[in-house]
Formats: sequence, C-alpha cells, structure tokens
Amino acid sequence: MVRLGAQYTDRPAAEPPEPSQPAESSRPVEAAESALIEAVEVSAGYDNRRERTRLIALRDISLTVRQGEFLAIVGPSGCGKTTLINMIAGFVKPLSGTIKVRGVEVDGPGSDRAMVFQDYALLPWRTVERNVEFAVENRRGRIPKQDRERRIADALSLVGLAGFERSFPHELSGGMRQRVGIARALVGEPEILLMDEPFGAVDAMTREAMQAELEKIIAKTGQTVLFITHSIDEAITLGDRIVVISNRPGTIQEIIDVNLPRPRFDERNDVRRSARFGEIRAHLWDLLSGEALGAKSIPVAPPGGES
Amino acid sequence: MTRVVPNGSTGTQPTPQVETITVSRFAPFRGVAFTVVNLTLFFILWELIARAGVINPLFFPRSSEVFSALYRGFEDGTILPQLTHSITNFLIGLAISAAIGIPVGLLMGASRIADLILSPYVWAMTSLPRVALIPLLILILGFGDAMQLTIIVLSAVFPIMVNCMAGVKTVDPSLLRAGRVFGTSQSETYIKIILPFTLPFVISGVNQGIARGLVGMLIGELLGGGGNGLGYLLDRAGEQFDAPMLYAVLLLLAVMSVSLIQAMRWLEERAAPWRDITRT
Repeated sequence: MVRLGAQYTDRPAAEPPEPSQPAESSRPVEAAESALIEAVEVSAGYDNRRERTRLIALRDISLTVRQGEFLAIVGPSGCGKTTLINMIAGFVKPLSGTIKVRGVEVDGPGSDRAMVFQDYALLPWRTVERNVEFAVENRRGRIPKQDRERRIADALSLVGLAGFERSFPHELSGGMRQRVGIARALVGEPEILLMDEPFGAVDAMTREAMQAELEKIIAKTGQTVLFITHSIDEAITLGDRIVVISNRPGTIQEIIDVNLPRPRFDERNDVRRSARFGEIRAHLWDLLSGEALGAKSIPVAPPGGES
Repeated sequence: MTRVVPNGSTGTQPTPQVETITVSRFAPFRGVAFTVVNLTLFFILWELIARAGVINPLFFPRSSEVFSALYRGFEDGTILPQLTHSITNFLIGLAISAAIGIPVGLLMGASRIADLILSPYVWAMTSLPRVALIPLLILILGFGDAMQLTIIVLSAVFPIMVNCMAGVKTVDPSLLRAGRVFGTSQSETYIKIILPFTLPFVISGVNQGIARGLVGMLIGELLGGGGNGLGYLLDRAGEQFDAPMLYAVLLLLAVMSVSLIQAMRWLEERAAPWRDITRT
C-alpha cells in the first residue's frame, strides 16, 4: 500500500504525459474473439532506491480474460492483486512480459478501461453529477457535450442515484459514494471495468446490497469486469471465474470456474446455500488460509462464519 | 441550508429524511449576545478591580480610562493616521506575500527540482526569528515604510509558501490515479485535481501569514523607529507612562487581528465546505 502510494505521487514528474490511446480505432479486427485481455508471463516489482532492492510483487503471471466475463481476483493482502489490476489499467509498467487488450499492448490508461477505487477517489469539491462528468470531459473528441448530460443522467439512474445529482460526496454514505464511483466508471462506456476492492470500505449489509446491484448493472451494460476482493464469499457470489493469487512474489495459484447460475442474487434461489458454493468456499479457504499464515502445514479450523 | 440526505445507505427507495423542527428566531444571535455579555462583564470586572486600587494604576488603569483614551485618541487624530498606516502597510505586505508565496509554494510542491533548490533557503527563513533581521534591514533600507513593509513580507511569505507546498505534496494519490484513469492531461491534473485540493492549504497558509505578518508589522514599527504605525503609538505611550493609551492600542490590535482571522475563517468555510466534514 505504502509503496504504491509513493509510486503514484512520484508520477507527475517521472513520466511524460500519457499518450491518449486510440484503442477504439487501432484495434485489430477480431484478433481473438473471446480473449479481451491477455497477460503473458508478466512480472512486476517496485524499486526501493534507498535500500537498493527490488521487491517482486508478481512473477510470471499468464492470464486470459474473456470478453464479457466477471473475473474475481482473490489473494492474501500484499500478494500483488492491485499491481495486476494497475498494470492492466496502465499505471504500472510490467518489468517483463506483455499485457494486451484486444491484441494491443497496454501503454498507459485508455478510455476502454475504467476503474472503481476502494476509497472511492471522488473529487470532494464536485457534486455527484460533476464527479460522473469527470470521466467524460477529459479525453477530447470522444463524447459531444450535449450527449454528456444524458449519459450522466443514465449512469446515475443505473446506479440508483437519480435525485442526488447536486449532492456532494461528503453528504452521502459510503455505499452511495461508491455508487457514484461506479457511475463514473460506467459513463464512458468502457469495455473493461477494473474494480479494486470496491466494497471493502462499506458495511456488511450495504456490501451485500451493492453486490446484488452490481450484478444487475453488469447484466445490463455487459462490461468485462476484473474484481479484486479479499472476501471469499464475494468472489464466489460475483465471479464467473476466480483467480487465486498466492503470496509474494504473487503467482497464479489456481483459476476456478464457478459455474453457478445467474442471477446469483435471487430471493427464491440463494446460491450461497447451494452445495457448489460450499464446495468452492471450502476449497478457496484451504488455499487461502495456508497462504495467509504463510505455511500450509499449520492445521486450520474448518470454515466457520464470515471469511 | 439543510441539504436532503437520505439515511438508508442502500437507498433503493429513499424514505423521507428531513423533518421540520421549531427553533427560536433569535437562535443565530445567541452566540453574539453571549459574547457581548461576556465582554461587558469582563470590562466591568476590570473596572472594579482597578477601582479597588490593589494594583498600581500606573500600569493597570481602569477600563473606563482605556475607553476614553481610545475615544480621545480618535477625536484628536493621534490614533487614526497611525491605524491607517499600519493597516495599509499590513495589507500591502500581505498581498505581496501572497503574490510571491502562493506561486512559489505551488512550484515547490509540483517540481522536485524547484523544491531541492529552494527548500534550504525557505526553511532557514521560515525558522529564523524575524527580529534578528531588523538591524540588517535598517542598515539596508533605513527607517521607514520600505523597511516596515519588507519585514511584514518576510514574516508572512514563508508560512504561505510552506503551506502551498504541503498542499500540492499531500494530494490524495487515489485522486491522481482517478485522473489518470479518466484521461486528464498534465495541465488538467493541475487545474482539476491539484489546485482545488490545495486551496484550503493556501487559505490556512494565508491565515498563518496574517498571524506572522502582524508580528512583523509590530516589530518593524516598534524597533524600526519610523515614527508611525500602531507600534510607534505603543512605544510612545510606554515612554510617556500613558497606560490607558497603551491598553487602548493593544485593544485595537486585538480587534484587528481577530477580525482578520475571522474573515479568513469565513473564507475558508466558503472555499472548502467539504474539508471539515471529510476530516471527521
């Protein structure tokens, strides 16, 4: 966390202005109809200049994300989940390996990818609607101004915030702030939604409600989602597949197909009571509890209440 | 004034949130009334203690004498020109300090090189007691307005600079990430994220600049021997054992600094309404 923060604050001086990426136009026609994101043997690390060391956060990650899938990423704290998503977003350059989105190598952020942040990252001096507008006002030539108003209104009603256009973030609850974050990410109609523990800072009740709404929203908008979480339950209830990343240096330990019917949040048929859910949960628990303790040999109590 | 805020965070169907309550029409003035009563009692108590004669009246005059000295001073024109002189000097000095301190501070926050080059001087000047500069300034600029103005600027400019720099350096990194995700250019990052974030820091820098600038103003007038300003009035009243006048000038200075600080506080609330709430 601290290292990441330092990296971003260094950013303005260290890098030239990012080129606006013409992802829409230069995309090869039907390069691979199902592979939207392709990471090949990607490693990432952070230099500590004072100690002259480099901390390897991720090692040799190879991953294919299919068009339209909901990919949950779980792993212990500090395993490099955020680094992975930051590389796909284009903030962090891999040390080695390549990441391609629709066959084009990622080189900085682009309007085809949007991000939802754990701490919301809303501009506190802007109203809800002006915060959402932030996503569509910077890259020129994409969205005509008269279209913006309508799209902002659409995005806000999609996340259930119609009527709060003029509120300021500090007047909203955590769950509602994250709705603004989601609306802001969706308003530019990106292909890929990168979510970095988006519900990590909201209370448990709100969290469940937000998960259900996210599933509904994505069913409507059809984004490909990469969703970082450290809640096992959240990963299973939301994900089509779950990528389990092991501890430093992070490597992909396993990719699990969830194979549970959608919608997952159905009053009559709660997937969380199904046998398949319990099975995945127990399996993930085995994988992750060993990781969390740093040794697999230590016996761990069977899964109890919350993850 | 009250904004409608729903209390259900899941908020799919917001329920009515705001109920009307009855509040006395005079409620907003209650604080003011309290202060008036408070101060009146203070001055009455002061008067009584002074009249009791337990303390030497040479340096503890009655409050009524202080007020009458204040009145006479304004009437016979001893106070007003000095007050105008001090205020004008101070405001000009503050304006110069802001004009220099804000851009330089922002530059130091934004550019590592500027920071590396300037910070030893800025920190040295920030921590150096201002009084130490007086002999040098008198040597260079002599007695008078230029010297007094310089000491005000030298007092006020560095806190402004340091605060602006701190503002830029502490910009929430996740806001910068959001900027990158949503495609802000370098200049948009400054205009849309860094500057608004820094605004409250600028204001609190100016606030500190006011406090330090007032000190600068007084030492310039007291030690600079220019023969004008409130500091000069203080000096003269002291020499003439004119205790009521001394207290009257001190009272004026207190009123002046409190109103400046209150004005800035008012400005701060308007400029960054989100600040206090997000900090809780």
